[in-house]
Amino acid sequence: MTSPLLELDRVTKRFGRVVIAEDLSFSVGAGETVGIVGPNGAGKTSLFGLISGDLAPNAGQVSFAGRTVTRLDSAARCRLGIGRTYQVPRPFVDMTVFENVLVAAQQGGRLGRKASYPAAAAALERTGIAGEANVPAGRLGLLARKRLEIARALATGPQLLLLDEVAGGLTDPEVTVLVEIVRAVNAEGVAVIWIEHVVRALTSLVTRMTCLYGGEFIGDGTPGEVLADPRVREVYLGSDIDASTIQQVIKEEGAP
Amino acid sequence: MAWVNAIVQGLLTGGLYALFACGLSLLFGVMKVVNLAHGDLATVAGYIGVGIIAVTRVPVLWSIPIVVVLMAVLGYVLQRSLIQAAITRGELTTLIVTFGLSIIIENGLQQFFTANSRGLGVGDSFITSSFSIGSQVVIAWFNLAIFVLAVVVLLALQQFMTRSRYGRLIRAVADDREAAQLSGADYRHVFGIAAAIAFGTVAIAGICDGMITTISPTIGTDTILLFAFASVVIGGLGSLWGTLLGGVVLGVAQAIGAQINPAWEQLAGYLVFLLVLVIRPQGLTSRGAAA
Repeated sequence: MTSPLLELDRVTKRFGRVVIAEDLSFSVGAGETVGIVGPNGAGKTSLFGLISGDLAPNAGQVSFAGRTVTRLDSAARCRLGIGRTYQVPRPFVDMTVFENVLVAAQQGGRLGRKASYPAAAAALERTGIAGEANVPAGRLGLLARKRLEIARALATGPQLLLLDEVAGGLTDPEVTVLVEIVRAVNAEGVAVIWIEHVVRALTSLVTRMTCLYGGEFIGDGTPGEVLADPRVREVYLGSDIDASTIQQVIKEEGAP
Repeated sequence: MAWVNAIVQGLLTGGLYALFACGLSLLFGVMKVVNLAHGDLATVAGYIGVGIIAVTRVPVLWSIPIVVVLMAVLGYVLQRSLIQAAITRGELTTLIVTFGLSIIIENGLQQFFTANSRGLGVGDSFITSSFSIGSQVVIAWFNLAIFVLAVVVLLALQQFMTRSRYGRLIRAVADDREAAQLSGADYRHVFGIAAAIAFGTVAIAGICDGMITTISPTIGTDTILLFAFASVVIGGLGSLWGTLLGGVVLGVAQAIGAQINPAWEQLAGYLVFLLVLVIRPQGLTSRGAAA
């Protein structure tokens, strides 16, 4: 049996009394798409921090592509193939869109001068912002910033892409655009872990879903199974999952 | 005409001040470190120059590239070790560490070189030769050369920051260190490069200062650091060309003050500095060249 692409082995992370992860084990295979839901403050973004290397766990191991990366910082993990976007896009505002992506291609992608330019251009093409390549990133609107955030992550040549609420704050047609971008990226074999409040966006892409709450995962299966799980519905009560959404998802999964 | 001469002299001095200041501005812009030892680094560079010339007998101008390279290497090493360790412990720690570094440098220099002041290339004709415009404006060739050198250094820095791979990387890390790391950038290495540049530029300034006047172990904090701070604040924090503008404004203010009364040279400089702080605290160029 081949080892999974990403593996969290009994990871624990606490901030004072706030528990982000408690003895958490989790693995993602190459090319897989996993959605993570959970109420606000459940620690979803912090979980990404543990995977990308922004946060160090109190206990446990993180492995990626057969290597233990627990002690590596985020730059080193990026170079190994973990790409990440921020919930609130953080472009280098004084640099052009192209320069933003170029830095990622040269650093994270470890490309030389000659190879980095076409790689950066390709990342812009894939995310549909090639037309704004020479615009200072600080002048972009929200959708373009989110595209740039994904382009920058793609330029590092990831095997695993961590998407943190990329659909938040966007209109439905805009969400559809992003989902198609991510789908195309996944079709090339890049595994995707996607944290999202906009459940519609998630269910249209991911084949597997889980819910983070209280430092542990509740449910792990198809989106329909997880959203129908009474425990998931309980922690999500009052948020944007309602019965009709769940019915819709279950119906879609059942469809041929 | 005496006034015109004062203004011209002040303007030329501004070039040297810009060389003092640009490294300070760069280090703060990139890693938010206020390097209190910055002035002493100029002094150290001057003394290294004195030492190299005494031992190897190279011409004084040849000592500049040698010292710049030595100081740049020292900058990288010091950044990756001492200053980086301080950064991870918080901004206040960097202040204390660089202040301590300043004290160590000054006392070390007094120990090895005594408190006597020294000059570089004393008596060399290219340092003392001058030309005059009209009857009263006398321009020393060497002062003019330093001003031109300052402009060249700033131009080169600007080109480096906007066009080169490492320049872009420095800008990215300066903008958002965490996001740069997520793009695969090793920020410690980037900090080291920025420090190497800052040490290199201040080394040029230190040797030039030793040639125009003299250096002594304590001028690093007595004058150089203060002039560098004033230039940075007047010109605008984080702007490369701002340091030149700030240096020129400071230099001209000092020259005019000295023209009124020789005792007012420093006072006039700091009055303008305070004036800028009150009227335009963000500096004259609130947003200029990258860095």
